Amino acid sequence: MKIKSIIPLALTIGMASPAYSEQLDVEKDSLKFGFIKLTDCAPIVIAKEKGFFEEEGLQVEVIAQPNWKQLLDNVITGELDGAHMLSGQPIAATIGFGTKSHIVTPYTLDLNGNGITVSNAIWEQMKENDTALDTDTPKHPISATSLKPIVDAAKEEGKKLPMGMVFPVSTHNYEIRYWLAAANIHPGMYTSTDLKGFTDGDIELSTTPPPQMPATLESGKNVAYCVGEPWNQQAVAKGIGVPVTTNYDIWKNNPEKVFGVTKEWADENPNTLIAVTKALIKAGKWLDQTDASGKLINREEACRILSQPNYVGADYDIIKNSMTGFFYFQKTDKRAMPDFNVFFKYHASYPHYSDGIWFLTQMRRWGQITEPKPASWYKEVAQKVYLPEVYKKAAAMLIEEGAITKDEIPAADYDGYKPATTDFIDGIPYDGKKPIEYLNSHKIGNKDDPALANQ
Amino acid sequence: MAQKTSDKIKYKLLKVIDVSGFKVFDPVIRLLFAEEPRKQVQDIAKFMLLPTVFVLVCCYIWNAAGPNHKTKSGEVPTPPKVWNAYTDAKRFDERENEKERAFELTGSKREEALKEAENTLAQLEKEAAELQAKSVEIAKKGQEKIDAAIAPVKEKHDRLKAEYKEAQAQRKAKETELAAKVAAKEANSEALLTAIKENSEMTEKEKDELKVISKKLDEIRSNPPEEIKAAQLAANKAADEVQHFKKVIDYLTKGNREQKKESYLAKVKESTAALAVAPDGKTALKNAKSIVSNEKKAAKADEQKYPRSATIFWQTKRSLATVFAGFLLAALIAIPVGIMCGLNRVIMACLTPIISIFRPVSPVVWLLIFQIIIGAFFPDPEKHPLFVFFNAQANPLSFLQVNPAMIFSACTVAMCALWPALVNTALGVSSIDKDHMNVAKVLRLGFWSRLFKIVIPASLPLVFAGLRISLGVGWMVLIAAEALSSSDGLGKFVWDEYQNGSSQSFANIILACFVVGIIGFFLDRIMIMLQRLVSFDDGSATA
Repeated sequence: MKIKSIIPLALTIGMASPAYSEQLDVEKDSLKFGFIKLTDCAPIVIAKEKGFFEEEGLQVEVIAQPNWKQLLDNVITGELDGAHMLSGQPIAATIGFGTKSHIVTPYTLDLNGNGITVSNAIWEQMKENDTALDTDTPKHPISATSLKPIVDAAKEEGKKLPMGMVFPVSTHNYEIRYWLAAANIHPGMYTSTDLKGFTDGDIELSTTPPPQMPATLESGKNVAYCVGEPWNQQAVAKGIGVPVTTNYDIWKNNPEKVFGVTKEWADENPNTLIAVTKALIKAGKWLDQTDASGKLINREEACRILSQPNYVGADYDIIKNSMTGFFYFQKTDKRAMPDFNVFFKYHASYPHYSDGIWFLTQMRRWGQITEPKPASWYKEVAQKVYLPEVYKKAAAMLIEEGAITKDEIPAADYDGYKPATTDFIDGIPYDGKKPIEYLNSHKIGNKDDPALANQ
Repeated sequence: MAQKTSDKIKYKLLKVIDVSGFKVFDPVIRLLFAEEPRKQVQDIAKFMLLPTVFVLVCCYIWNAAGPNHKTKSGEVPTPPKVWNAYTDAKRFDERENEKERAFELTGSKREEALKEAENTLAQLEKEAAELQAKSVEIAKKGQEKIDAAIAPVKEKHDRLKAEYKEAQAQRKAKETELAAKVAAKEANSEALLTAIKENSEMTEKEKDELKVISKKLDEIRSNPPEEIKAAQLAANKAADEVQHFKKVIDYLTKGNREQKKESYLAKVKESTAALAVAPDGKTALKNAKSIVSNEKKAAKADEQKYPRSATIFWQTKRSLATVFAGFLLAALIAIPVGIMCGLNRVIMACLTPIISIFRPVSPVVWLLIFQIIIGAFFPDPEKHPLFVFFNAQANPLSFLQVNPAMIFSACTVAMCALWPALVNTALGVSSIDKDHMNVAKVLRLGFWSRLFKIVIPASLPLVFAGLRISLGVGWMVLIAAEALSSSDGLGKFVWDEYQNGSSQSFANIILACFVVGIIGFFLDRIMIMLQRLVSFDDGSATA
């Protein structure tokens, strides 16, 4: 009798557990996501191509966008449901630098993945200024110190060297500024009347869409640029420039792109957003899967998918260069860079508040935020833009389904602030809880009243 | 009598080709009916064979000259490469078709297709592995060749570099020595200056020499033997195909529409069973919810469509639809306004400043303006009735996926195509024979009958001449507008390819150039045909 009564119970439990891995009741099941042709759109493309979106009951269309501005506009007008965005974009849009609209992000797409490339002529001169660079495999990280005399010489002739970055609020802009400023080259300030960011600069840093970067280097419109992949590797392949540093050297494991939607959309489609985040987490994990020896096992397949003309569309071999854990600094200089693209490990995909605050400090440092703000404001904005709750919900469901393990995401009591770090090229420590102190620890750039730190 | 029927047919045919603007074929028809064969053969030689030969010669020159111009994005693609790009684009389209079919197949057909796809995949995998192995081998051999070619140059480079370095150090030492002497008044300062000058010149020269050699090194490195590239390309293509079939199998199994529906229904069943024996309220609620949501999903599954990627064929169709929408809009505005301008000099005077100022404005500016203005009309495009209507599954135009970007591309086309039609219509109306108008006055025709009986018929040839120019302008403008607004179409295809920057991109851009050109040619012919049909004279020369 006892046994008989246990059997149906066991059956019920056995049946109930798949109900946990039940698809969410999504509000909207056919979605359109935008992306820019860069390899770090990979999680979105992979989630579609490997069927992770489908597993959540979502039909997703992935559409290439011509530039970051149009991408953001399309998200705001509702033409797109969500998109691959620069980390700075949701923040800038929310605080109203550029187009104003409340954009939120539950997922960080990747870490690192950018490089700074200089033209062959500049590289020759840098080698002259620092003979240590004059080998086939110079020691890294390469700072901008050897670039400084070239910048000064050009300035004496009344020229400011033109350089390119991707977008005013892109990571690339802050990274190349950081790199230059670390070597005492003033990259120029934004002011309320100068929205190009040329004021007081030793050089002129202007916006160029990523795919055009190699062409501008070749035509001499830029002598250096900071951009994501595959556009640094393409410069090497075409023999028009030399990547001198990657952003991994400027700041180890820095946040790069996020997945952004409007606040309005997130409020209307809460379950859909969780379902999308689940699919993206699975895609991120798939991208970072390694075998016992630490080799990234799925990257070649990912490169194959990304090289399709409707996605990134660059040659498979070029995409493969950086995506499979290697980076060509010159044709003769191939180095292992296992962390060049990080999609999931190191809790990369979690939306950390401290990442958002770093971007805010850079926006203030270079004058994009024109007024001094108290420390509490930085915290508020980060909390407005980043949605760790959505990420946590999605991750909890995936843990229950057995798709990820507990140690792959931050602990439950994690407050969203990464521990203070000195992993920068100039070694200046950054603590997300102390934005004002961080701002004041730099030599070049805006500094604020220390009293604001406690407000 | 028989002679006469054949003559009739002949003249009918001649008329047809004349009206359709293919007058070139005139001698062929005449020759077929044995009319002055000698003259016809001459005409064919002059007006058909010679132009064909000329085009072929151009292609030949292109083919021969292309590879000589090396750009950083690869060399200029030759005709065969462009053809290759076309076959690749076609294969891409076919793949989409195959996946769509796989998504929609049901029942035993699906199982058959699955078996077939699995067989193909197994075979392809084998082929791909072989090609990959071969490519690796060739690459290895090629690398050896490159290394062999590089070694002596590299050795020379390094040797010279070391030599020069030493020489420079020696010269520097001498300079310091000389300087010390100058300071001690043992030597002439003049000599020191010349020494420094000579030395820096020498250093410059040595540097240049080294540069030449390292350039040579670069050249060898960046131009691996053709066979490496070819083998790699073949291996890559095979791997692409393997991946495609994997995806097809995916769409035949868990991604299949019917399979998906069945899995939802299975879940409903499962939850129903669980609900019946639910031990507590919580489980019951969960299972009941699952039943409802899965039933909803199963019902929705029937409506699901395969999300197609944009292919050049679809983009061409969409471009054509956009250009016709814009062109119609332009015609609807231009013809009435043009007629009014032609009839009334005051209206003409009022509109002249507007026409003169806006006509020269670049389409790019219009696009940006429309993007801002029209964007405001569609705050939520998904739910806007216009798009809901066009994109409803029952609408035959739903495959176009009408969206705001398409609307403002069409408006830009309309804005730029407006002017030639307007000006020509006004001209046509104002230059109507005075006698015609006088007759109308004598007959006391009312405004409307005068309009439809005299004004419009008399001005039609010029109106159509204007429309023909408008369509041409519209087609040109559209490609630019699509590239800028990223509205799916040929313009976006070109822009995407440019952004892709792959080894295929250049060939694809040239392919698009031909597609745009050929379609433009046919659009023009259609307009010529319409123009001829309404003209009383034999029409102007066709170009």
